[in-house]
Amino acid sequence: MIGVELVKQLHRPRGWVTLGLVAAVPIVLVLVVGLSRPTVAERLGDYGSVVTNSSGLTLPLIALSAMLLFLLPLAVAVFAGETVAGEASWGSLRYLLARPVPRSRVLASKAVVAAGFSVATVVVVVVSGVVGGVLAFGWHPVTVVDLQHTTVFHVAAATFSAPAMVLRTLAAAAFILATLASTFAFAFFLSTLTTRPFSAVAGGVGLSLVSRALDNVPGLHALSPWLPVTDSGTTAWTGFFTSPPQTTDVVHTLVVQAVYSAGFLIAAFVWFTRSDIVA
Amino acid sequence: MIWVEFKKQWRRPRTVITFAALAVFSVVLTVAISATGSGTVERVGDVPLLIVPGTSGLSVPVIALSSTMKFFLPLAVAIFAGESVAGEAGWGSLRYALARPVSRAAYLATKLFVALVLSLVAIVLIPVAAVVAGTVAFGWHHLVIVNGAASTATHQVVANFSPGLVLGYLGVATAYVAAGMMSIFAFSFLLSTLTTRPFVAVAGGFGLTIVSRVFNSDYLPGVAVLNPYMPNNDVDLWQNFFVRPAVTSGMAHFLVLQVVYVVVFLGAAWIWFVRKDILT
Repeated sequence: MIGVELVKQLHRPRGWVTLGLVAAVPIVLVLVVGLSRPTVAERLGDYGSVVTNSSGLTLPLIALSAMLLFLLPLAVAVFAGETVAGEASWGSLRYLLARPVPRSRVLASKAVVAAGFSVATVVVVVVSGVVGGVLAFGWHPVTVVDLQHTTVFHVAAATFSAPAMVLRTLAAAAFILATLASTFAFAFFLSTLTTRPFSAVAGGVGLSLVSRALDNVPGLHALSPWLPVTDSGTTAWTGFFTSPPQTTDVVHTLVVQAVYSAGFLIAAFVWFTRSDIVA
Repeated sequence: MIWVEFKKQWRRPRTVITFAALAVFSVVLTVAISATGSGTVERVGDVPLLIVPGTSGLSVPVIALSSTMKFFLPLAVAIFAGESVAGEAGWGSLRYALARPVSRAAYLATKLFVALVLSLVAIVLIPVAAVVAGTVAFGWHHLVIVNGAASTATHQVVANFSPGLVLGYLGVATAYVAAGMMSIFAFSFLLSTLTTRPFVAVAGGFGLTIVSRVFNSDYLPGVAVLNPYMPNNDVDLWQNFFVRPAVTSGMAHFLVLQVVYVVVFLGAAWIWFVRKDILT
């Protein structure tokens, strides 16, 4: 079932176009930053700051922190939101379900393939950032200024060798993927509710936007730790790039993601196995 | 025409729910602040303004306007503008509405006017409800604001505003925010004439704010060149009224920019709609 679904999705241009576009963003950043301000320090979340032209390995970090606000949630919501609603809008969903396979397996294989494309999205950003960055600025160790502990009198900084940077970048990418899980699960849930893929995609992106908007309301701080997508949660990975690593919010963020994702995915399964399919 | 349209819109749950949600936002904000610590300092905006909400009820409208202008207000405006024509097309009633002996231009102008009035009411509702809720909760006192950018650990830059002055500034600030929403309004309205699905027009109009914010140099390195021409980025400049001396640079540029966007989008909506082949 997973193979069938994967082959189907691989034949559709949507996935390739999305992956191509996210691969292009780090390259564009290399060009723009390289031409306009290679020596200016770029800020990464709350913890780190790096100078771009010191090493090409800064580029995947700059690309990830620039894209996690909107482009990565959008890509993930596109993959998750199209799954079931895409079939429904073509009118092929009922024929798909006419095969002698339980609905839950159909849904599970769609979820797995969409999740695979989402993982591929983040991997593509990292690879494209590393390749583009190293070609432009070389394979050097990176010095990260620790913004939390730097004062006017003392610059706190840590230097990481190039292989260590690659490992930490992979850890950061894995964490960013985890923070996208609630957006993915919500778009997937909406995809089982509606027959219009656009609504499911917009709803998934909408969740991350509403959550960030509530996170940024002064006076609603009490709410922030329990929202699915927050500024401090999605940038907690920047703490990996200090020495020793600062991982205050990491576990809490992952638990919150797990709870939201499980909730939305269970809702999707409960709804889809019972819904009356008319499209 | 205009009255007919007003009555029609007013009876729709969408209008009432949007207004109710915006009014409730201010009340919920006040309750949340007083429940979770009205004595602690809140950082408002990019300046940032440091305000202790419990010292004056007039802090609530400043906080409410700051926290709605980037998300909830653009959404409300996009809803009213995006639903206007596409809503009729979505129900299939557009062709019957146009069968009346009224020119398309007049029909579009009516839709535009009513959506605009509803949007302005939505924007004004936020500070008004916040002034009322804030005053009930924290009283009618002078508002003390610390300028977080100019202050250092040893020296605080404090400004003290009388209640009347705060109201005056809030009036101008609300007008500025409303003007800043006009590019969103016009774009949603344009989409509303293009599509027959209201949701697409609303999401597209709201998408313009998101695109605008993504091309903000805070998030994306290297796009500083585009920043001054983005339709919705400088909507927060009114916060500079509340530093001493007040800073107004950039505001005139932003207002001119809004006029340009509005003329382009509404012009396109006009040209498209008077020639369009209406099928629904």
